[in-house]
Amino acid sequence: MTILPFLAVTFGAAAASLLTRRSERLSATIGILGLAGAVVAAAAISADEMLAIGGGELVGSAYLRLFVWLGSLVALLLALLGLLSGSHRHVPGVLLAGIGAAGLALALPDARIAILAATAGGLVGILVTIPLPALASGVVVAARELRALAVAGALAILAAAWIGRPLAELAGEPAVFGLAYLGFAVAVAIRFGAIPFHFWAARLADAAPEVSLPMLMAWGPAAFAVVALAWADQSVAPLLLPLTVERSLVVAVGAVSAVLGAVAAWIQDDLEHVVGYTIIADAGIAILGLAALDPAAWEPARTWVIVFVVARSAFAAWAVAVRLAFGSRRIDELRGWALRAPLLALGLVMIVVASFGVPGLAVWEARTGLIDLTLDGPFAIVVTLGALGPLAVYARLAAIGVGRPSETVARAASQRPTWAAPLPSRPALGRTIAGRGVERAANAVGGGLDLLRTVPAALGVNRALIASLLVLALAGISLALSAGGFGVTAAAGAVPGQVPTPIESEPPGSESEPPATTTPDGSAPASGSPAGSGPAESTRPEPSFQSVPSP
Amino acid sequence: MNPALAGLTCVVVAGAVTAVSAREPRAALLGLLVALLGASFLADPLPTPLPIAARIVAAILAARLVAIAIRGGGEQTSGSRLGWPVEALAAAAAAVIGYATHGLGAPGAGPPEAQAAGFAIGVLAATPIVTGRDVLRLGIGSILLLSAGLLVRQAIGGTPSDLEQLATSGLVVGLGGAVAAITLGARAVGGGLVAGEEAAARRPTRVHGRGVGPIQTSHRSGAHRPPESGPAAEPTTHR
Repeated sequence: MTILPFLAVTFGAAAASLLTRRSERLSATIGILGLAGAVVAAAAISADEMLAIGGGELVGSAYLRLFVWLGSLVALLLALLGLLSGSHRHVPGVLLAGIGAAGLALALPDARIAILAATAGGLVGILVTIPLPALASGVVVAARELRALAVAGALAILAAAWIGRPLAELAGEPAVFGLAYLGFAVAVAIRFGAIPFHFWAARLADAAPEVSLPMLMAWGPAAFAVVALAWADQSVAPLLLPLTVERSLVVAVGAVSAVLGAVAAWIQDDLEHVVGYTIIADAGIAILGLAALDPAAWEPARTWVIVFVVARSAFAAWAVAVRLAFGSRRIDELRGWALRAPLLALGLVMIVVASFGVPGLAVWEARTGLIDLTLDGPFAIVVTLGALGPLAVYARLAAIGVGRPSETVARAASQRPTWAAPLPSRPALGRTIAGRGVERAANAVGGGLDLLRTVPAALGVNRALIASLLVLALAGISLALSAGGFGVTAAAGAVPGQVPTPIESEPPGSESEPPATTTPDGSAPASGSPAGSGPAESTRPEPSFQSVPSP
Repeated sequence: MNPALAGLTCVVVAGAVTAVSAREPRAALLGLLVALLGASFLADPLPTPLPIAARIVAAILAARLVAIAIRGGGEQTSGSRLGWPVEALAAAAAAVIGYATHGLGAPGAGPPEAQAAGFAIGVLAATPIVTGRDVLRLGIGSILLLSAGLLVRQAIGGTPSDLEQLATSGLVVGLGGAVAAITLGARAVGGGLVAGEEAAARRPTRVHGRGVGPIQTSHRSGAHRPPESGPAAEPTTHR
């Protein structure tokens, strides 16, 4: 199946959810059902189908399927968490639109169109950045967000357009490619809020609802970054241009973000700020993937992107669950939290393992691979240590968690499951067998109705427990993914070569000749499409310029 | 030079100058609409009717969304401090540069007029983007900046495909919606069209007008958080 059903479900349900926002329950129900439908539709995406539409193509790939399936699943769990924590009523609709736009961007092999989709998806986040009722701080943050999106979008559009055409008569070739590459890389850094472009992103953590942070700061920018990776891999890397200065600048942004993001996360007292800065720190590693310009970086970069956004989503969910359980996000008020909420403690352990991994796990290999490809000597050591910096954050949380419970933690409700109210007893008082039988049947029906009426109250009193279970589910997904589950490394490393059949042009089953394009070093073509599937090679014309040999 | 495209370029640039210079929000919005509509046609060959229709509808819808956000209020935008003649001259200079550098190093597949218009409105968008505390001006600047990028893309890459035109239409509508949401928010907190807590503090805390109901303000951060009155407090959904 093509991605079309997924897009129809996500965009349709997002529109319906946002349009019915005056009826909060209806809007939330539509949003949740839409996200559940998106999970199903995403799983049904075929990795080798292409849909020709309007002079362009929508191309499926294993990476696209994994990205949108995980994105939909994570968004569904976050939306449920948002319902428990009383989040912004636009959240389900925004999550749907965000993951739909990300899927669309990844399905478009033409980077020039994919950028438009990724930028439009980012704009939806503004709806949740401004709280209801509006606050001045939220408006300021939303204005900064709009500015960042516009600047990043314009830079990327120009970069992709500049070298996305026949360039046989191009003057000043290295400079043009270098500027275009730098422009796109800066656009990615702005979208991620990487240091030094982090001012808007840092404030975003203050204004946006907690459950939407992963979509605004990680999933949306991640789709943009994957588009950039594919574009750089196809348009810039094969030329083997020196681009030393440009690459150094991109490496600097990535390395500084990885190191200083971790430091900033460590010194924060607010859990949501910690989440925001750890996202920025991890985004730094993703930016290093853009700096590599090497086919060897293709698989680790795309693996890292998807693993880190899922892990950070789990961490954001953990922060929401902590606030829900203890009524505070301030770390210094959470002394003893781990003793009081063992499920959350277990969830944090799983998130830590998923975020860092151990040698041999996909997440570890991806991180070290990207650092090794872009940095040498002491710089590599510093950035490697910096990338492990968030461990200090987790250690701090753990140390506080096992301390003597603070007043805030001590008065928190227990996480043990409780029932909202005792069910009334219904003795059978009939005098005859038949009468008692009828009465028992009526009592059974009445008891069932009593039970159903009590469910909402039971959900209410067990909110903290349910939130913890949702966190565990997210942490489990994250852990499995970081260990290489869900076929993430295979999907991320898929080398183009299998040419999908355009639905409009050829009947299914007919075989096509794989493209014989190779990169200048003789290796298989690294990428053609943002989705990482090969179709782009078959659908986009080869650049007409001659490759410049490396000096 | 194609006279029709040159005339269209002048219309687009004039609209953009009005959009960034006018103090009256409706005039600025009209200028933006003219620029967006004109930009849809700045291609050679022209797109097929369907994509053009999509672009036109998107431009009108975006402008309509912003119009909803600014209606009923007497606020003025901060306008251009330099004045429209200076803005127009800067845009003209940028247009000349854009026209002369058509293709940016290689032959462009689209019309040079589109690049001229792109450069001109890119320059016009810079000031609101960089200095804009006025959310309407910032929003207009953002839309113009992206339109500038798209125009330059049309100039060097040729007429976009139907799918790209559709994506562009979606982006324009999204931008209009985002600007409308921010403008409504700024007006609701009592800061007029200026984003900022200090600006809001100077204004009455309630505004009454069509489209914007009486809205209480607060300056506490953590806007979306339920009151931290205690553990597992009752959900407080922001309505």
